[in-house]
Amino acid sequence: MTDKLTRILYVEDEPDIQTVARLALETLGGFTVEICSSGNEALARAPAFDPQLILLDVMMPVMDGPTTLGKLRELPQFAFTPVVFMTAKVQPGEVAGYKDISAVDVIPKPFDPMTLSGQVQAIWDRCHG
Amino acid sequence: MVDPAGLQAKLKAMSDDYAAKLPEKLGQIERAWEQLPEDRWDDEGFETLHRMVHSLTGSGKTFGFALLSDVARNFEEYLKQIMQARAAPDEDQRKHIRIFMSELRQVVMQTKVPNQTELIVAAPRANEVARCNCIFVVEDDPDFAELLKVQLSYFGYEVGVFGDLPEFRRAMQFRPDVVVLMDVTFPGSKLGGIEAMKEIQRERNVPVPVIFLAAHDEFPMRLEAVRAGGIAYLSKPINIGNLIDHIDTLTSTLPPVPYRILIVDNSEALTSYYAAVLEQAGMAVRTVNNPLDVMAPLLEFMPDLILADVYMPGCNGMELAKVIRQLDAFVSIPIVFLSAEDDLDKQLFAMGLGADDFLTKPIQPQHLVSSVLSRVRRSLKLRSFMVRDSLTGLLNHTAIKDQLDREVAQAKRRGTPLSFAMVDIDHFKQVNDTYGHPVGDRVIKSLSRLLKQRLREMDMVGRYGGEEFAVIMSNTDGATAVKVLDAIREDFSQLRHLADGKEFAATFSCGVADVSCFCDATKLCDAADKALYRAKHAGRNQVMQMDAPAVSGANFV
Repeated sequence: MTDKLTRILYVEDEPDIQTVARLALETLGGFTVEICSSGNEALARAPAFDPQLILLDVMMPVMDGPTTLGKLRELPQFAFTPVVFMTAKVQPGEVAGYKDISAVDVIPKPFDPMTLSGQVQAIWDRCHG
Repeated sequence: MVDPAGLQAKLKAMSDDYAAKLPEKLGQIERAWEQLPEDRWDDEGFETLHRMVHSLTGSGKTFGFALLSDVARNFEEYLKQIMQARAAPDEDQRKHIRIFMSELRQVVMQTKVPNQTELIVAAPRANEVARCNCIFVVEDDPDFAELLKVQLSYFGYEVGVFGDLPEFRRAMQFRPDVVVLMDVTFPGSKLGGIEAMKEIQRERNVPVPVIFLAAHDEFPMRLEAVRAGGIAYLSKPINIGNLIDHIDTLTSTLPPVPYRILIVDNSEALTSYYAAVLEQAGMAVRTVNNPLDVMAPLLEFMPDLILADVYMPGCNGMELAKVIRQLDAFVSIPIVFLSAEDDLDKQLFAMGLGADDFLTKPIQPQHLVSSVLSRVRRSLKLRSFMVRDSLTGLLNHTAIKDQLDREVAQAKRRGTPLSFAMVDIDHFKQVNDTYGHPVGDRVIKSLSRLLKQRLREMDMVGRYGGEEFAVIMSNTDGATAVKVLDAIREDFSQLRHLADGKEFAATFSCGVADVSCFCDATKLCDAADKALYRAKHAGRNQVMQMDAPAVSGANFV
């Protein structure tokens, strides 16, 4: 059997979304969640936290999600870590674009706090099915 | 485990908090807008404005404010268009932005703290969450199992293969959402597959969809299979096309494209209320407050139904219906009047002018939803007989050409890419002559299914003629279209078709044209046709793209 998903890194600049996502993923999903407010913070803190899966907001100031993903991938530790984009842009073409740059999936925003952890778990299961 | 009441309470507290901060956020957006210079393009300032609006789009509904997300999304779309031009917005655009601002302000002011039921209503429907795309094949013949796996994967399914029953039973404990293809007979047990499924079904509230594959076609076996929840019973050798048909019907839980409703009513408060009610029921809604502005949204949004007020300044509902009915594309659209009018004579008169029905205000939200739904469904069903090809269910020749006209116009207006492709099965006449027309039809169906499954939902596929298909790919440039269609071509050539116990393969050729090189629908169509012709002449089984025509004046060089 594959590893159970426990450690999730969530990179998101909106404080409101951070809180509700933490509630959804920790309380409801039982995951351990580390939240970073920017791409740079994620790059600094990810190695020590060693997440099994990374949720990345697409639109962030300074360093956007795709750029952050590129930089994470340069670290050997995260060369293959599943990364999921969170975005309010859900044009199917864009989704394909995100997958082209090695994201495993896209969760559309606004997400539903009640089902977020289920969506994340399903993506994890699919990656390790 | 988690205490649901406690969780709801926490969520509610977060919603309250979010709602409390909204006016401040709106203020920031308004300030960002006011600070933008009128006379020049300010990249950074506009970016900031866009990001702040974007963040409302992405968060509102999460906290139970669906309308906020929607209004912000429209606003954001508009800002994106301006950003593409990178020019300071002109007076007209500034006016539009101010309207969006005031809409946003209205929504924020109306934002009551949502109650718990509203939060739950905002949850996606079950079928959107558990989208079943996974198939378990349970088969003790490894070669046959592998063949099924390969063939099914061409149609975009994920396939798990199990050679024995205990292994399958273990896997089923972790997967609630699969379709099972179950061999009936296993070593040592003639009905082993059926027995195993019966056991699994007993533990489930919702039965697992299962298709039995059997070496023998006997009534008692079929009966047992039905008792084990079997949805289909196919005898070997298995016709893959037939199998896929069954699986497609089981897995077509993809959320359908939402019905599009256009509301024309001069009262902004009422339109936003009706819009909210219909949107909660999963419909896409566009609203028009001035009936004189109806044309643009009508053509762009292509509604499935129009909900109109009878009394409006400038143009009353009956006149509106008359005008709309005189447009070819809207001859058959259902138009429903909403009015405080309960005078039967007047209602009948309105119906004579092209209204389909009258709903009397005030109307209960539930009544509004069910009236609208039943009319839209009926009208779409009727329309599908007119625009769909009966063999494949794809758009027919006329419908796909109409669609191309619209898509090309839209692509030009928005400046977005668009590709058009013609697909033609190679040597199809030989297939028909060798194996007969029913087999030929199956090949056509398998290609139509492959195209539908492998292209995006927004792409449009039509059956253009006998063995010819047309594909419209919006937001896609020629190079990408070629890449996508070439992958489909490769997979189609690997499919094995069955005729008289013998297998054969078929291929197709494809021509692609990009709207950036051929700027109207006729030219685009001709170019794709020429590219297809070239692909055929270059040896078939390939995808070719038509280059831009030589620039006129080149002969002077």
